[in-house]
Amino acid sequence: MTRLFLRVSPQALRITGLLFVLCLVVLFFSTQVDNYLNGRLFNRISSSVAIMALIATGQTIVILTRNIDLSVGSVVGFTAFATGSLVTAYPDMGPVPLVLFAMVCGAGFGCINGALVAYARVPSIIVTLATMALFRSALVEFSDAKSITSGSLPQWLVSFPNTKLLTIGQFQLRAGFAVAVVVVVLVHILLSRFRPARRFYAVGSSPEAAEMAGINTRATVFAAFVLAGALAGLAGFMFLARFGNITVVAGLGFELKSVAASVVGGVNIFGGSGTVIGAFLGAILVDLIDTSLVRWQLVSEFWREAVLGALILLSVTVDTLLMRRLFRLRQAQEHEAAKPKPAAAGKVTKEGAA
Amino acid sequence: MKMTKLMGTAAALAMLGSGLAQAQTALEGGQEVDMVLLPKFLGILVFDQANEGAQEAHAELGNPGELLFVGPTPENSVAGQIEIMTTSATQGQGAVMLSNNAGDQIAPSAKAAQDAGTKVVTWDSPIPSGEGEDVFVAQVDFGSIGTVMADMAHSILGGSGQMAVLSATPDAANQNAWIASMQDALKGDKYSGIELVDIVYGDDQAEVSYNRALALVDKYPDLGVIMSPTTVGIQASAKAMQDEGLCDQVKVSGLGLPAEMVSYTMNGCAPEFALWDFRDLGYLTYYTAYGMATGQLTGELGESFTAGRMGDYTIEEDPGRPGSKRILMGPFTVYNKDNVEAAAQ
Repeated sequence: MTRLFLRVSPQALRITGLLFVLCLVVLFFSTQVDNYLNGRLFNRISSSVAIMALIATGQTIVILTRNIDLSVGSVVGFTAFATGSLVTAYPDMGPVPLVLFAMVCGAGFGCINGALVAYARVPSIIVTLATMALFRSALVEFSDAKSITSGSLPQWLVSFPNTKLLTIGQFQLRAGFAVAVVVVVLVHILLSRFRPARRFYAVGSSPEAAEMAGINTRATVFAAFVLAGALAGLAGFMFLARFGNITVVAGLGFELKSVAASVVGGVNIFGGSGTVIGAFLGAILVDLIDTSLVRWQLVSEFWREAVLGALILLSVTVDTLLMRRLFRLRQAQEHEAAKPKPAAAGKVTKEGAA
Repeated sequence: MKMTKLMGTAAALAMLGSGLAQAQTALEGGQEVDMVLLPKFLGILVFDQANEGAQEAHAELGNPGELLFVGPTPENSVAGQIEIMTTSATQGQGAVMLSNNAGDQIAPSAKAAQDAGTKVVTWDSPIPSGEGEDVFVAQVDFGSIGTVMADMAHSILGGSGQMAVLSATPDAANQNAWIASMQDALKGDKYSGIELVDIVYGDDQAEVSYNRALALVDKYPDLGVIMSPTTVGIQASAKAMQDEGLCDQVKVSGLGLPAEMVSYTMNGCAPEFALWDFRDLGYLTYYTAYGMATGQLTGELGESFTAGRMGDYTIEEDPGRPGSKRILMGPFTVYNKDNVEAAAQ
């Protein structure tokens, strides 16, 4: 058993752990809620998590570089509104220019964040706290107290997220969810296989070492914010398509939910480690718990937030403790493996002392 | 509603009879007074409509002063409202017209504003305790909203079935009062077949309301109607039912804007809903605040005045909040597929 633990990478282990927790949560609620385990549950969670998955993916890239982006919620709201206004004014616009517009719009906001954090060297939590309010106020000003209604949007846009690509029994694979999965997998492959994208990890693990290795840390941090902005813009497009009715509160609170999804998904808040697949599963877990709590008779409306908070805290704590124990176990094993050769053992001690 | 209006009129008559009372005060325009219209937050259509109404009254009365439409951003509503209230008092504004989103937390700063000579007129949503408030301009009688919602549920359900409420935030004073009055109304014999199974909150956000509506359907397989006394919630619920193809099974009703609801009413997802005119509410609120800030109205119980195109109104005791005063606008319109298209224009 421990052998197996040692062979797989810690990230793969973490993802297995998350899947295990997901199953536990589903099993638990299936004993508490009537009519719980069915295709409908899958359809609900998959459609609603599609938007958060995109935001959490962007958030993960930023957190990897030891930063945080609190402005994503406002960016989602603004791009959703701006894209909605655009398509209302030009109803003949096709999907491709519209999606491009949303992503460029989001990336533009990301540039502002990125420039301030990477080049002006202002801590990201301060910058994005300020831009969260600024972008939201920009939306209030831009919207002129109007709202976008689904009636004024073209039919293809409104029906897009719920288009069924594949139906197996009650289970439906919908276009919105499919888009999110494709983006998550694509970003995951890039982050794990593509050399320039590995820089995000390098900068987050140790900025000094990355600098010495010839990585342009500023450009890397800047790129992380621009990517997060572009993904938030795409999420804004999806938000518009799914909800149709956009007011100035659109996307409010998404920044914290995306941080929660990333952290629950095993992304280290101090940077340098984590995967977008993990963040994706984290988003699913948070959404699953949230949706299930609404259906659980035992928990009243007023306690739901508290229970959700406690569950997030619990999952992160358990994860941290387990991982720490595992690392210790692994270190001990490595130590053990190194023991038969006294010379090698001595070397290890020396290095440790140095 | 009729009952209270009668009582209000009776009180006014009694005062007239005693020979003390002012007759119908016709407000004199042209006096200079600066005023602030303070909505719950900026960027929601109904508040913008209220502002249009207030601007109309402002122009009509020829007030050379300034009418400011300022509000907090949505994520900062409570603290922002308190801050604007305090600032307005410091600036020496003649009146603040407040749609309160801060519960009783705003009372100390509203009281301080009154002490500084600023009149505090609430509209849409009052200060629950009445502390720090001169008068509340009520859009409709809060008790009668409950009856109207119960009636809509009754007609949609055909007399019997399950109903769930999807409200705004758990601490929204107006929504809570309306839900309470609906629960009262449901005790009547006529509604004995209707079961109110749950009350959930969508925080006036499209995505939260949308997900809550779907969760309600999953939680109660026999649910017949979702009643949402908020324009954001009713629209999101209707969209959710339409997206999931549930409109035949679960109907949506409540308080909504015709422009946002017309497609759902026509396709049967939301056959009936109600609302009042927010432009009129802004207009009447302006007249009230102007009268009080210029000293033409004293704010005594039983005082009557003429509010331009809308006619005569009387200050009466608020039946929902003993010791507080209100002016009742009313009535409101119930929309269905016969009249919604015209109203949506």
